[in-house]
Amino acid sequence: MIDIAKQAIRFIVLVIIQALVLNQLEIGFSIQFMVTPIFLMLLPFETSTILMMVLGFVMGIMIDSISNTYGLHASSLVFLAFIRPFLFKRFEPREGYDVLKTPSIYDMGTGWFISVFGLFLFLHHLWFFTFEIFKFDETIFILRKSLVSLPFSFLIALLLQALFVSTSKNK
Amino acid sequence: MRNLIAFFQRFRVFVVFVVLQIIAMSTYFSFLNFPRSQYLTSASSLNASFLKTKHSVTKHFNLAHNNYLLQLENIALRKKLPQSYHQLQHGYVKIDDTLYKQQYVYTPALVINSTCTKENNYFTLDIGKDHGIRRGMGVFSEKGIVGIIHKTSDHYSVVKSVLTENINIDVMIEPIGLFGLLKWDGKDPRRGTIAGISNDMKIKRWSKVVTRGGSGIFPRGLNVGKIESLKSVEGKPIWDVVMRFSEDYRKIQRVYVIKNLLQEEQFKLEESIPQDKEND
Repeated sequence: MIDIAKQAIRFIVLVIIQALVLNQLEIGFSIQFMVTPIFLMLLPFETSTILMMVLGFVMGIMIDSISNTYGLHASSLVFLAFIRPFLFKRFEPREGYDVLKTPSIYDMGTGWFISVFGLFLFLHHLWFFTFEIFKFDETIFILRKSLVSLPFSFLIALLLQALFVSTSKNK
Repeated sequence: MRNLIAFFQRFRVFVVFVVLQIIAMSTYFSFLNFPRSQYLTSASSLNASFLKTKHSVTKHFNLAHNNYLLQLENIALRKKLPQSYHQLQHGYVKIDDTLYKQQYVYTPALVINSTCTKENNYFTLDIGKDHGIRRGMGVFSEKGIVGIIHKTSDHYSVVKSVLTENINIDVMIEPIGLFGLLKWDGKDPRRGTIAGISNDMKIKRWSKVVTRGGSGIFPRGLNVGKIESLKSVEGKPIWDVVMRFSEDYRKIQRVYVIKNLLQEEQFKLEESIPQDKEND
């Protein structure tokens, strides 16, 4: 029960931060911060894919309706939820996942987290910008935009994770 | 039948994925042309109240600069007041003027939400249907045009800004009077392009671009920007004209909505032209 409440708070905080703060920032060089994948990333290992997709869809639609992007965030989050089981399987440690742990940087180690979450975030950015721009002759621009935005989104997601996860550990 | 159910159970994750994707994508691509969904926009009252709270904080960031701009505009208007003219002729009496009729009326508005980095950028205004705002009205600021009203709710409205792919406002290059359509390529919020200028025309750099006023949305002669560069397009007899906007859309706050009182008359007249029929 406490776990569900915790996830709900994360959900709301992320929607507010993404829609009202990060989507309003303009720092040039076509950089765009997107941190919502951290929510799907931090869900427990045994969460069902369908539940994740529905959560991602609802979260995306909420952000979209505030920042007038109509389904773009929703689509990329649903895609991420769909891809997460495959990704986790690919990067599974030799002894398998411990159900009691969460897929955070504290439980799974820095190397694992950077490779998995980096790929996770990159796929999200790529999907988002591909459908936002939606032109074949802009492929290089799409790639550049997602690669440039990636480190910034990653840093902010790390900070948010420190906020979310360490408070739950001190309890 | 049993096979079908078994199929769905086997692939239910994929089926849910496809269904959700179709919903998301169809809302995205249908909104670009016409806003069908009533609630998933920032003009809906719940979302707009969020944005209004946000705006009540962020409006202070550019306050000094905005006040300065308003002051400049006040000075320009004050210059036109009768008090600031010295009367040279005393024999005239002011009478009710019938030479001029009011064509455009303006409503002031605040931009409470805006983006610049997206492929299609929409601004949210704090006025709506109750203030007489309708779809298709023009929006401009003190420095240049901003966009066209795309969707309204009772108290808020969404503007399809100049920074949108298919904005297509008809503009005019000033001293020579050439017409073209304003477009945006989705990258730089400071520059736009003008389509349909044939390359036998000589255009000077930094010549002014203003609205043409053909569709009755904007009055003639509102500032849009200045020509920055000309490039020839390979294989076509047209220029690729790059234009720098006179308004900085990243800092925009105060705008005006235009209502054309004679628009219906213009439309009625233009409708009465017989359409071209395909004769053989």
